[in-house]
Amino acid sequence: MIPSFFRILVIGRNTLVEAVRQKVLSVLLIFGLVLVGSSVYVSTIATPGLDAAGLFDEQIKFVKDFGCGAIGLFGFAIALLSTAQLIPQELQSRTVYTILAKPVRRAEFLLGKFLGVVLLLALAVTLMSLAFAASLYWQETVGLKYAQDVYDQHMPNWQNSPQLVSQYNHDIQDIVSKVQDPQLVEAILLLFAKLVMTAGIALLISTFATSSIFTIITTFMVYLIGHLEGVARDVWLARGAETSLWQSGLAGLISLLVPDLNSFTIVDEILAGNHVPWVHTLNLLGYAEVYLVVLLAVSIIIFDFREI
Amino acid sequence: MEASAPSFAVETIGLTKRYPLAWKRKLLVALDHLDLQVRPGEVFGLLGPNGSGKSTTLKLLLGLAVPTEGEARIFGLPPDSLEARQRVGFLPENPYFYAFLNGDETLRFYGKLCGVTGPKLEKRIEELIDLVGLQNGRERPLRSYSKGMLQRIGLAQALIHDPDLLFLDEPTAGVDPLGSAQIRDLILQLKKMGKTVVFSSHLLEQVQEVADRVAIFSLGKKVLEGSLDSLLAEDQSTQVHVPGELTAEQQEKVRLLLGQAGITSQEIRFSRPHLSLEQLYLRTVQGLPAPTPAKDSSHS
Repeated sequence: MIPSFFRILVIGRNTLVEAVRQKVLSVLLIFGLVLVGSSVYVSTIATPGLDAAGLFDEQIKFVKDFGCGAIGLFGFAIALLSTAQLIPQELQSRTVYTILAKPVRRAEFLLGKFLGVVLLLALAVTLMSLAFAASLYWQETVGLKYAQDVYDQHMPNWQNSPQLVSQYNHDIQDIVSKVQDPQLVEAILLLFAKLVMTAGIALLISTFATSSIFTIITTFMVYLIGHLEGVARDVWLARGAETSLWQSGLAGLISLLVPDLNSFTIVDEILAGNHVPWVHTLNLLGYAEVYLVVLLAVSIIIFDFREI
Repeated sequence: MEASAPSFAVETIGLTKRYPLAWKRKLLVALDHLDLQVRPGEVFGLLGPNGSGKSTTLKLLLGLAVPTEGEARIFGLPPDSLEARQRVGFLPENPYFYAFLNGDETLRFYGKLCGVTGPKLEKRIEELIDLVGLQNGRERPLRSYSKGMLQRIGLAQALIHDPDLLFLDEPTAGVDPLGSAQIRDLILQLKKMGKTVVFSSHLLEQVQEVADRVAIFSLGKKVLEGSLDSLLAEDQSTQVHVPGELTAEQQEKVRLLLGQAGITSQEIRFSRPHLSLEQLYLRTVQGLPAPTPAKDSSHS
């Protein structure tokens, strides 16, 4: 068991090193970091002409939307591109022969490669989250300074008025609570889980695909269906008795084969400032974990039987 | 009672591989009922044209493909078992490895996969770098390696866990004659170290220089097998080597002498042995003294 785990780690580490040393993925990550970091600047362009309080709220909301959107988008690109080429590249360059000729099981090889992608995604999401946190910190600093300036300019000697001091403290608290929202951790975790699921889908497809392009296109289609299937199911369920047997059957089959990615749009609720309980987030993370185990198990079975 | 050690490093019985060609509704017979036995310590050459079944044989022996019929054994073990793979090293044809790793990192990666770690691994890397002569490639990424260097790092990774048996698929393909000769010397060195080597090659002269036994394949079947001595010896003639060139007078004396033993003059042939072009090339590029050119005549 321990040697097996060690071999998975060795292959995973090597896959991560390969991805990090690949220019394409590094450039993609740098673009992601720049985009997340630039959200502060873009927010000032996107929300001009609002009154002071509204301006700050809009800007904070924009930085959150833009930052998480960039993490999701670039994370998706990294997950898809890096996973799609995992197996075809190994087969094409014949490096898979040199590994499987060693005392390494096929399942260990596959899990190791996937672990590498998960580590890469963890690294990319961590770096982009740090850039996101820096943007929010910058926004907070600007907001606090702005509040200070407003009080100093428009309410001279406000420090002597307990009522104004209390109002000032309340405003400051409001700014800090909007920026330092602990629910953002939930949002990042959910984004990461969705990216890992996307990589899992791409891995499964790549075990029987003959090219990276096929894997990329098919994974993208599954990703889209994964977002729509929840909607379709809700529509059909809402129609109740009108739903025909084949519609119910199709909805059931799709929800079995394709993960319900639409559930992860709960992140939008978090970004809108609505409260999402941790229980709900943990449920979604658990769903992602179970689905991932199924994806990996099927991938291993297919890869075990594949002629290489 | 202790189980006796298996007699063969490699043994196949009726080993067969067929690939279905769905669009033609046919089966491609890549390997047809191969019976093969390689003894420990032997250097065994697999010969044959492209598509004759050599690489399929190696894939089956490594457990990379599943036989349609028959079975293969590596030191008495199934080829796809971890125990068998622990005893086997493999150099694939035209290996690329991971271009982003340097020489040391490559060996470290493959060593760890085989469970070799820590100071033992570092010592092994030093030994192998010396063995394959890749001191100048330790810190360079493999993408900057020449073909010959890639083959040598490939050989080093195949040896990283000190296996008893080596499978080399076209180890000298695309390598210049000097690099090719170095790989040939390495195979001979491995033989001295007691390793069993099974390799495929198109370069017949090289096979002749290193192999103890060969099998020739054609269209997925083994058509000939045996030791090089028995396969290549000409039963109908005897060669005598003397230093220097015989003068016409000396040749006549030899004819007379052999005539007394009942051999007719027409059956006796005098010629100067030739270097192969490869030997001439190697002597030249390695700066060894050039051989004296032979007179453009043979004496019969």
